Amino acid sequence: MDFVTMNILESSMVSLCKEMGIVLMKTSYSTIFNEALDFTCGLADMNGDMIAVADYCPAQIGGMPLLVKSCLKEIPIDEIEEGDVILHNDPYRGGLHTPEHTFFKPIFVDGEIMGFAVAIGHIAEVGGMAPGGFCGEATEIFQEGLRIPPVKIKKRGKDNIEVWKLLLANVRTPRVNYGDLRALIAAVDLGEKQMTQIYKKYGKEKIKETVNDLLLYSERRMRAELELIPDGIYAFSDTIESDGIDADRTYTVAVEVHKRGGEIIVDYHGSSPQASGPINATLGVATSAAYNAVLHMTDPTIPRNSGCFRPIRVMAPPGTIVNVDFPAPEVGGNTETHPRIVGTILGAMAPAIPNRVMAAEGATHCNFVFGGVDADTGEYFACYDLEAVGWGGRAFADGNDGVDSINGNCRITPVEVYETRFPWRIESLAFNVDAGGAGEYRGGVGYSKQMLCLNDEIICSQMTDRHLLAPWGLNGGTEGGVGATLVMKNGREDWQTMREAYGKASTSRYSNVSIRRGDRVRLVTPGGGGYGEPAKRDPAAVAEDVREGYVSKAAAQKHYGYQEA
Amino acid sequence: MPDRKIIGIDIGGTFTDFVSYDAATGTIENWKNLTTPSEPIEGVLQGLGQVEDVASVDKIRLGTTIATNALLTRRGAKVAYVTTTGFRDVPFIQRGDRRSHYDITWIKTKPLMKRADTYEIGGRFSAKGELVTALDEAAVRELAATIKADGTIEAIAVCTLFSYIDPSHEQRIRNILAEELPGMPISISYEVLPKWKEYDRASTTIADAYLKPIVSDNFHRMQKRLDAIGIGDRIGVIKSNGGESTLKGAAEAPVQMTLSGPTGAVVATRVLSELTGIKNLVTFDMGGTSTDCSTVVDGMEHVTTSFEIEWGLPIQIPMIDIHTIGAGGGSIAWIDKGGMLRMGPQSAGAAPGPACYGRGGENATVTDANVVLGRINPDYFLGGKMKLDAEAAHRAVKKIADQLGLEVDAAAFAMVQIANNNMLGALRAVLLQRGLDPRDFSLVASGGAGPVHICDLMDISGIPQGIVPNYPGQFSAFGFIMTDARVDRHRTVQQISKYFDGARATAAMTELVDGAIAELVSQGYQQKVEIYRSIEARYFGQNHELELSFPANQFTEETIASLWERFHEEHQNRFGFSIPGETIETVNLKVVAVAVSEKPQMRELEKGEGTPASSGSRKVRFEDGWHEVKTYDRGTFKQGQTVTGPAIVEENASVTILQPQQTLRVDRLGNLIISA
Repeated sequence: MDFVTMNILESSMVSLCKEMGIVLMKTSYSTIFNEALDFTCGLADMNGDMIAVADYCPAQIGGMPLLVKSCLKEIPIDEIEEGDVILHNDPYRGGLHTPEHTFFKPIFVDGEIMGFAVAIGHIAEVGGMAPGGFCGEATEIFQEGLRIPPVKIKKRGKDNIEVWKLLLANVRTPRVNYGDLRALIAAVDLGEKQMTQIYKKYGKEKIKETVNDLLLYSERRMRAELELIPDGIYAFSDTIESDGIDADRTYTVAVEVHKRGGEIIVDYHGSSPQASGPINATLGVATSAAYNAVLHMTDPTIPRNSGCFRPIRVMAPPGTIVNVDFPAPEVGGNTETHPRIVGTILGAMAPAIPNRVMAAEGATHCNFVFGGVDADTGEYFACYDLEAVGWGGRAFADGNDGVDSINGNCRITPVEVYETRFPWRIESLAFNVDAGGAGEYRGGVGYSKQMLCLNDEIICSQMTDRHLLAPWGLNGGTEGGVGATLVMKNGREDWQTMREAYGKASTSRYSNVSIRRGDRVRLVTPGGGGYGEPAKRDPAAVAEDVREGYVSKAAAQKHYGYQEA
Repeated sequence: MPDRKIIGIDIGGTFTDFVSYDAATGTIENWKNLTTPSEPIEGVLQGLGQVEDVASVDKIRLGTTIATNALLTRRGAKVAYVTTTGFRDVPFIQRGDRRSHYDITWIKTKPLMKRADTYEIGGRFSAKGELVTALDEAAVRELAATIKADGTIEAIAVCTLFSYIDPSHEQRIRNILAEELPGMPISISYEVLPKWKEYDRASTTIADAYLKPIVSDNFHRMQKRLDAIGIGDRIGVIKSNGGESTLKGAAEAPVQMTLSGPTGAVVATRVLSELTGIKNLVTFDMGGTSTDCSTVVDGMEHVTTSFEIEWGLPIQIPMIDIHTIGAGGGSIAWIDKGGMLRMGPQSAGAAPGPACYGRGGENATVTDANVVLGRINPDYFLGGKMKLDAEAAHRAVKKIADQLGLEVDAAAFAMVQIANNNMLGALRAVLLQRGLDPRDFSLVASGGAGPVHICDLMDISGIPQGIVPNYPGQFSAFGFIMTDARVDRHRTVQQISKYFDGARATAAMTELVDGAIAELVSQGYQQKVEIYRSIEARYFGQNHELELSFPANQFTEETIASLWERFHEEHQNRFGFSIPGETIETVNLKVVAVAVSEKPQMRELEKGEGTPASSGSRKVRFEDGWHEVKTYDRGTFKQGQTVTGPAIVEENASVTILQPQQTLRVDRLGNLIISA
C-alpha cells in the first residue's frame, strides 16, 4: 500500500466534501440547511461505495452507500451521461425519508465514468398532508410528500424542465424549494469538477488502486477496534410510546449484538411489527443506525467510507418497525427511531465497554413543523425546525445539556433568525430544572421553548417522542425528564396537551393542528438518564448543580442527601 | 511630523521579536530576546535596552498575548450576564451542535461565566423593531443592588434580544448600572457587535466584559513602565484587525485584542503586495508547534467574523482571518493502528524539542526528518547559534522507518510529505473553501520553518509562485512597523431589494462611518482617514452572505441598481449559479476606517546579474533521490540575480530549499521570488 498517496488522497477528498458542504450551507434557503446543517456531502466510486464523506449529518452518512447503490440498480450506469444530475428521495428505493433528497453527479474522465459526487439534504417542504414534511398521523407513504424515484434533474448539463415543473408544482413553497434544489446541484457540480481534477492529477489507475487500499485500510482499522471489544452476545431493548394513530399501543426496539473477533452483527429480531403511523424505519435507516452506533463506540479517527462498514452486519426482519414494508409511513423512522436504535445498541454494549456508552439521551429532534400564509407578504411559509435534548450520563462525565440527538449534528435556529423568518414570538428558551437523571454522573437537561403565534393561523404538526416513557438511566442512574408539547389557547390560562386541546391520539405525534393568533405553544425537550448510583456522586458536583440551578434543593436532598451548607 | 523612528515588537511564547526602522539612515534592524511570561513588559524593556536613545523613538507598536492567554487559560473576570427575560440560558444552550460526530467522550464547552451570575430584565422588541414590552427600569436598579450586595462581580455583560435594531434598552440598562455601580466595567452588545444572532452576539459581549479588568490592569502597568522611560505617549498596540490602537482605546474594547501578534505577518504580507505589485498572496507562517495561513486578496487582508476561542465559543468581531493548525517543525511522527504513518498533532514543543535538539527528545519530528534529508544544516541552525545532533535525528527517524519497512531516508521523506499534506489542509481552508483558486496566488513563507517547506507546498497546492520575504523569522514585528490605526465596524440593517429604503441605508452607513472616524480621532489619530465600505447581501431566504464593496455613504438609485447587478454576478462567480430576478436581501453594513501613517521606505539592493557565488554544497534528498546541492548565503544576494534549483539559500533565522527545476529571482528589495 502506498500510504503517503493514500493519506494525501483521503484528506483531499474529505476537504473537497467539506467544500461542497460550504457551498450548500451558503446558498440554500431553508433554515434546516443553512442554520441546522442537516445535509451531507460525499464521494462514491462507480459501484456506489462511499469513498469519502464530510462530517455534516451522521444519519445520512450511514445511509449513503445503500442509497447510491439502489439508484444504480434502477438507472443502469451506461445510461448515465456526462453532465447528468440524478435526484432521488424515495424511502422505498434505498432512501431515508421523503424530505431527504439525494443528488448525485457522475465524474467522467476521458469519457469513462469513475464515480459520483453526492449531496444529501433535508428539504423542509415536500408536499403531502401537512406542511413541513412531518405528518405525525400519516398512515401511508403517499401522505408524506412527493416520492421521487431516481430521475435526471439535469441531462447533459441542461435542466430537465419537466422534472422541475413536477417538483415545484407539488410543494407549498416553490420559491424556497427552488433555492434549495439549486444549492444541492451547485454542491455536486463543485464535487464533480474538483474530483475530475484529482483524477487527472493522479491518473485513473492510481486512484482506483489507492481508493481500494483506502477502503481496506478503514476496514482494517475497524476490525482492530472491534477486536478490542470482549466477544459475546449483548441484548437490550427500549420502548417507543406511540405511533400517533393507536393511542394505547407501544412498540419495542430490540437488539441483540453478536460480537466475535473483528466482526459485529446487529440483530433486530424481537422488534415490534411495523406500526400504522410514521415511526417505522426502512432497512436503510436501520442499517445507518447500526453503523452510527458502532462508529460511536470505536475510534472516531477511522476514515469514514464503505470499508469501515464491512465488518458490520445487520439483520432486520421485514415487516417490523426496523425494516418496514411498502407503503407504510416512515418519516419519523429517520429522526426518532434511528437515535432510539443507536441508544439501544449502546445500552446493550454497556457491560462490555462501559467507557464508550452513555445512558439514554433524549433521542428526539422534537420535529415541530409548521406552515401558513404570512399575513404581511401573502407568501406561503413552511418550516422544519429541530431542538436539542439532554445527553445521558457517562462513566466519566455528566451528560451534556442541550445537544442535538445522536443521529444529527444540527444547530438550533437563533431566536432572532426564527422571528425574522416566521410569524412567532419566542417568549423564553430555558433549561428544565431537575430534568437530568440522577446518578454518579447526572444526565444532561433539555429545555423549554415557548412561542406566541403572531399569524391568523399557523398549521402545526409534530413527530417527537419521550412524552410518556422517560430516557433510561444506566448502572443505577435514574431516568431523565420527559418532554412535552403544550398549548395555551388565546383567552385560556391553562396549558393543555395536544390530546386534550385537539383530541389527538398522541401528545407527541400529530398532524395539522390549527394554532391561532394569540395562542401559545411550549415545546419541552427530554433530558438524559443518569449514570451510576446517585449516592456515589461527588458532593461538590451536587452543590455546584444546586448553585447553578440545574438541580433544585429538594431534588438534591431526595437523590443525593444534599444538605445546605 | 512623520514617524522617523519606529519599532515593532511581537511578544511570542518563547521569544520577543524586535524590528526597528530609522528613516534618517533608511536602515532596518532586527533582534530577539527571551519572553518574560510573568510580566511581558520586562522582556520588552530588556529588548529596548539595545536601542540607543530610546526617548527619540517616534512610535512603538506592540503585539501582545494578554487577551489571548486570558481567554485560553480562562483567567478573566467574574462576569454577570444581563439579558431579556426568558433568555438567560442562551449562552449555555449555544447552538445545540457538537464538536465532532461519534465522539461520546465530548464535554460541551462552558461559557465564560456562571449560570448563577445570569440575570433577566423585562423589556422586549419585536423582529421588526416595534416595542413589545417597556424596559423594567426598577428591575435594573434592583439588579444593581443585588450585584453590589454580592460583591464578587468584576464586570457586567448586557445583551438583549434585537438590540441590533433598537439599542435603547441596552443603553438604558448600561446607564442605570453605571450610575448605581460606579467604576464597574460594563459591555453592551450593541457597542461590541451590533449584529443579529443572539448567541454569537452574547458570547462576544461576554468575552469583552471578561477581558476588561485584566487587560485594563495590564495596560495600565505597561503604560506606567513606558512613561518611566519617557515613551509612554508613543505606544500603540495591535488589534485583531491588524491595526493599531492606543492602550486606552484597546482597554475599552479588549475583545478587539483577542488575536494580536499573528496579525503582523498578514499586514507584512499586505505591504509586500503593495511593494511588489503582486495582488493575491497567501501566507504560510510555520513555526515549531503551529502553522498560520491567511490571505491577501486584491491587496487587502481577509477579515473574518467567525473566530472561536474554543469550539462553540464564538467571538464575532472582525479579525484578520488566520487559520491555525497544530502542525509545525515539532510535530511528532507515529504509526496508527491501521499501519499508516501520521504526523502530529502531538508536538515536541520547545522542550524537549525534536530529537536533534539533543535535549532528551526521542520522538522523530518534522525537523528531524529535514535534518536526515539534508534540508536543514545541523551546523547552521538559527544562523549557527544552535548545533543540532544529526545522529539523534537519524536514530529517531530510523525507529519509524523500521516500523514501515523503509530505508531511513525514504521514511524521512514520507514524514515530510505527510506534514506538507497537513499544512496543505490549512491552505485549502483559506483558499478553496473560500472559493479562491490557488493558481491565482503567490505563497509567502515566514516563521523559522516556512521557507524550508515553501517549495514543497507550492508543488502540491498548485500555487505557481512563492516568496521568501526579508526577515522571515521576525515577519510579524516587521508587519507592525508597516501598519496603520484601524477601526472596523459592522451593523445589521436588514432590507430587501423589493422595498429597499435608500434613505434608511444611507443614515445607517453615515452613522457607521462617522462613528469609526470619531473613534480614531478620540484616540488622537489626526492623519488622513481612508474609508472602505461594504455590504453583505444574499438571496432573500438564504442565510449566509456575499460581501460587495460600496462606494459612498449615500445610496442612490444608480448605486443601488448596480449593487443588485453585482450581487448576481458575484453569486455566479462564487457558487457557479445565480437566480436572475430573485429578491435580494441586504444584511450587514461594514466599514473599515484607516488612519494612514507614513510607511518606512524600503531600501533597494545593489544591482547585480547572473547567479550569486555559492558558499558550498551538501547532499539533499529530493523525490527522485539524493542530489549534491549548492548552498548560497542570502546576505550576498544582489537584485536581479537568479538561482536555479536544486539549491539551498541560508540566512540567520531560516533556510530556503529550492527543488530541482524551480528558479529563484532576487527582486529589487531582496525578496526571493520563486517560480515553479
